[in-house]
Amino acid sequence: MGIAPEAQVETVAPHEARSPAGAKQIAKDSLIGKRIAKLDAPDKASGKTRYIHDMNLPGQLHAKILRSARVHARIKRIDVSKARALPGVHAVITAADVPYQRPLGVGKDHLPLKSDRVRSLRDEIAAVAADSPEIAAAALKLIEVEYEDLPPLFDAAEAAKRGAPLLHEGKEGNVAMTFDYAHGDLAQGEAESDVVIEDTFQLHYVTHCCMGVSGVIAEFDAAGGLTLYSQTQVPFLHKREFADVLGIDPGRIRIIQPPIGGGFGSKLDIYPFEPIAIFLARATRRPVKLVFTREEEFAVSPTRQPVVLRLRSGAKRDGTLTFREVETLHDNGAYTSWGATTPFVIMQTISSLYRVPNCKYHTSAIYTNNPYAGSFRGYGNLQGTFAVESHMDKLAEALGIDPLEFRLRNAQDPGEVTGQGMHFKSCGFKDCVRTVASRSDFQRKHREYRAQWGKPGRYKRGVGIASMLHVGGGAKIYPSDGCGTILKIDDFAHVTLMTGASEIGQGSETVLAQLVCEELGVPLDAVTVVNNDTDITPWDVGVHASRTTFIAGNSAIGAARKAREKIMAAAAKVTGHDAAVLDLRNGMIVLAADGEAIMPLAKLLRSLHFSDKAELVMTTHYYEPPSQHQDKGFKGDVSAAYAWASQVIEVEVDTETGIVRMKHVWGAHDVGRVLNRLGIEGQIEGGVVMGQGYALTEELVIENGATRNPAFRDYKLVTAPEIPEMDISFIETLDGEGPRGAKGVGEAPAICIAAATANAIYNATGVRIYKLPFTPENVYRALHAQGACERSTAGSGQ
Amino acid sequence: MSPKVEISFTLNGTERTVAVAPDMSTLAMLREVIGLTGTKYACGEGECGACTVIVDGLSLNSCLMFAADCDGRSVTTVEGVVDTPVGERLRDAFVQAGAVQCGFCTPGMMVQAKHLIDSLGASLDREAIKRGIEGNLCRCTGYVKIVDAIAAAAQPKE
Amino acid sequence: MTVDTYVAPKRLDEALEAMRGGRATILAGGTDLMPQSQSGKTPLGRRLVNVRRVAELHGVVLANGALHIGALTTISELMASELVRRHLPILGEACEHFASSQIRNAATLGGNVCNASPAGDTLVPLVALGAAVELASKPNGAVSTRTVPLAEFVVGPGRTRREPMELLTAVLVPLPAAGSVQRFYKFGTRLGLDISAISLGLAAVREGRTLRQVRLALGAVAPTPMRSPGAEAALEGRPLETGVIEAAAAAARDDARPISDVRASAWYRRELVHNMVKRMLTDVAEG
Repeated sequence: MGIAPEAQVETVAPHEARSPAGAKQIAKDSLIGKRIAKLDAPDKASGKTRYIHDMNLPGQLHAKILRSARVHARIKRIDVSKARALPGVHAVITAADVPYQRPLGVGKDHLPLKSDRVRSLRDEIAAVAADSPEIAAAALKLIEVEYEDLPPLFDAAEAAKRGAPLLHEGKEGNVAMTFDYAHGDLAQGEAESDVVIEDTFQLHYVTHCCMGVSGVIAEFDAAGGLTLYSQTQVPFLHKREFADVLGIDPGRIRIIQPPIGGGFGSKLDIYPFEPIAIFLARATRRPVKLVFTREEEFAVSPTRQPVVLRLRSGAKRDGTLTFREVETLHDNGAYTSWGATTPFVIMQTISSLYRVPNCKYHTSAIYTNNPYAGSFRGYGNLQGTFAVESHMDKLAEALGIDPLEFRLRNAQDPGEVTGQGMHFKSCGFKDCVRTVASRSDFQRKHREYRAQWGKPGRYKRGVGIASMLHVGGGAKIYPSDGCGTILKIDDFAHVTLMTGASEIGQGSETVLAQLVCEELGVPLDAVTVVNNDTDITPWDVGVHASRTTFIAGNSAIGAARKAREKIMAAAAKVTGHDAAVLDLRNGMIVLAADGEAIMPLAKLLRSLHFSDKAELVMTTHYYEPPSQHQDKGFKGDVSAAYAWASQVIEVEVDTETGIVRMKHVWGAHDVGRVLNRLGIEGQIEGGVVMGQGYALTEELVIENGATRNPAFRDYKLVTAPEIPEMDISFIETLDGEGPRGAKGVGEAPAICIAAATANAIYNATGVRIYKLPFTPENVYRALHAQGACERSTAGSGQ
Repeated sequence: MSPKVEISFTLNGTERTVAVAPDMSTLAMLREVIGLTGTKYACGEGECGACTVIVDGLSLNSCLMFAADCDGRSVTTVEGVVDTPVGERLRDAFVQAGAVQCGFCTPGMMVQAKHLIDSLGASLDREAIKRGIEGNLCRCTGYVKIVDAIAAAAQPKE
Repeated sequence: MTVDTYVAPKRLDEALEAMRGGRATILAGGTDLMPQSQSGKTPLGRRLVNVRRVAELHGVVLANGALHIGALTTISELMASELVRRHLPILGEACEHFASSQIRNAATLGGNVCNASPAGDTLVPLVALGAAVELASKPNGAVSTRTVPLAEFVVGPGRTRREPMELLTAVLVPLPAAGSVQRFYKFGTRLGLDISAISLGLAAVREGRTLRQVRLALGAVAPTPMRSPGAEAALEGRPLETGVIEAAAAAARDDARPISDVRASAWYRRELVHNMVKRMLTDVAEG
């Protein structure tokens, strides 16, 4: 199946059903699996959508933050008097002005405004609210800070050594977080092995690059209630966080999420700029808007952090995996955000992507004076999959087994429970592998390209395969992984769906509307989704872990089914037919057997509303997935369903320059069921290209704690002419728990790309590269070191 | 503060006279002086295309253009583009092709697409579209559906 | 510093008059000036002289054996110019790789030359083509002009021999002789929107298998675009055979004086110079 749109997109259906004069019989129709245009797209394409950047409140002030000029230092003195005196400045605050502030974030290891010590160049020291951003910026330059430098730590391995200075009191060894996991008997696994390999993989810094830069607007009402216009991906958890940091009642915090210009995991934690804007709003009694510049966004946003991952793997001669042992070192940066917890996901790939009888895993995240690490689409899985799938290729080669055959021999089947306790109720893994292999002609190409090794020629082609396992039915990392829905239907059969799930561009709003249409038999334009205001919408854990379609979808279906029951009971009473013979189609109550229209749904609803026993159709539903919180040893079924994908990538390597061109990507995704084909293709295409950037072009260069390339000029996102041809297949395993059988897919497409590319470069050149990204210089160096570059010259690699 | 420069120009078909600081960008003028927020700031250095506008028939990065240089010229923003027949076709095509996700790059893409269609017409094939939008970054879509949308809009409907 | 005067003259003598007071910043396309002034790298002077409306600075004409390219010719206009396409194909090719469509529509040739970036996209082909720049000023009431070879005009990153009251009015490129061979190469993973890690421009006259009047320009491997005297000497008058090509490629690599920066290491830049000079010459030999 090609990716170009073949079918006509479903747009909003005409409303003939609401004037039933002509229409007598209505056939059963379904939107599931069709190409449904996003509900928010027309406004976005017209420039009408108002993001935070486009909003201005009356009386609003503009804020800027002063950040540390030193990577690691004591603050000896701060003098803000000149800044305060600048005309147009309304407030200048330092930690001394907000004695009530409390530590924030995942590690609760720093204050929004640092008081006596800075540990990275992004550390917030002071903030200004002024009449304009220009005045606020000018005021920052008038703030005097005196530092006393402390010894910096830029290397996680150095920081972990005995005797290294401690960045946080009480954090011995500068350890921010560790994860240990094991199943089986490693020694026995090793004893049974015919082949054992060990390699060290090096992963690099990247960052999200949301096109909309970070921003917030904070406003207090006269009674002390806070309204925050925020881009957060986790509004309800955020309320509690803010209440903790600010020392105010969470019930007095209202979070409104204007449309968000990209998330990708960057907005899962609370970062200092939001509390700082709130402090300023409190200090000035005015609304305060704080928006980053792009340079600030690069320098201050969370990163996907560098990891050194040592992997040992073993297998028997017959192609059975025997064990895996992993040790990783994560550069945590100066403070602990979600990045420190990504080993939780790497662990799943190590233990459960393939059947591994014996497994041992140790990771540590170590504090340094570098930028700190957050969560980013894939959450550790890109890194883990790169290592595991590189090893699958190497083991297959060492055993003399076809790489595809080797993978299939160790792949999981439906129904299996892994050593870690994950239960794969639906599992299309093998179908994914076979589908991409056959669509890409993988085995033939793999043989033929390999036969070209050592032969002359500037350009070398190669193919590589990689697969991934990721949560597809939520992730129970909090005591709850649920989502609430409130649904109401008005007198005109218009449905308002209030969901806790946030839209960040991924299209959840549209999918939820589709699922409601399916239950209530109303056209798509009869549904409005409200998803951006904590005072209105019910609780939800947030947009992460590819969970929204699955969790919020099930929640929406639950609320819609309750509404349907009410409607059908009333319809039976009003029409005199048994409810069992009735159906709802296109806004009409019909006879299920032949679709004969009996009465408009709107008319029925009005009759309920205006009767002497007046009743409105309003329902609520809360969905909690049947997954389990893992035990202390990280065993348990963390998700209600798991998603699978395999990708084959074909590359062309220019051996004279090291440039790797991604020519073609074949992907097969077990998504449970396609709900909105247009939306899911978009998720996959976008994820593939984000993975391409991770593999080939993107690198945040951090030197001595400073970001060297804080601009798109040198932080290279993939541009349109560079994208590969794509061929995407869907494996529909119809998950029993999923909404209409669907599983999550948001993160999956980005996960395998670096791994498959590494394998493709090897297939093209015979050179295996263990260090990302595969930029021209890195690839050229690797080829040069192994004498595999065309026309290279003698010369040192520096 | 610098003395302001009074300029007159045509904005989306209407004559406008405004006073701007000589060092102000066209992007800042559109968003902050005039209040048209469809044109987006995403980098301020001409690297991302989110602020693309059409000036005298050519697409430009409004973040790189001095507002004073708009004097006597004709400026079209996304708000003006969608009022044209080509712009309507583009908007519908972006919606139907699934070319919009977070939507932040979309206005710039729409304006650049209008420029491409106006200058290349029906000869605008997929490769030319990809080259034509290489100055417009998108982090969500992977560009495929944006190319689909522009290709569809480039072919006038019967 | 704040700008106290903004002028947008329509005639050259008005523009030069406006620059007489000194401390003037010239605005043309704005694509470099805007980010550089906003970041503080190039603060604006007291006078901002927008020359974009000066009619004399537009257009490409062929006269007296040279192409006379007005300083305000945009990169898009260069790409569309029949004269450029026919006579200076490597200039057109460099323009193809220049930034993005939006920037090509605004950026001017004069601006790219005066910005004097070691990686400036048009500089390498222009140096290879032996271009010169024409500068005008109005020191004492009358317009006077002078011509400076481009290779001498650019003296360092962002620095040129332009005097504060001078305006670059045109780039003059001598018409290549019959048998002209021109090649351009820009390293990058992208077709455009890339700051080159290296670029190469070759112009020569082919006689059978031999190249004469060889000019090989290297970009982004020194503080200014430079020629490779070693490679030119190795090639001049010799048949393009494997040994000659290898010697020229090695000489170009040795002539390059690159730095290591966030885009590439010095070692890698030298490797690229070698490999791509060799590739370019091999293609010429085989073509």
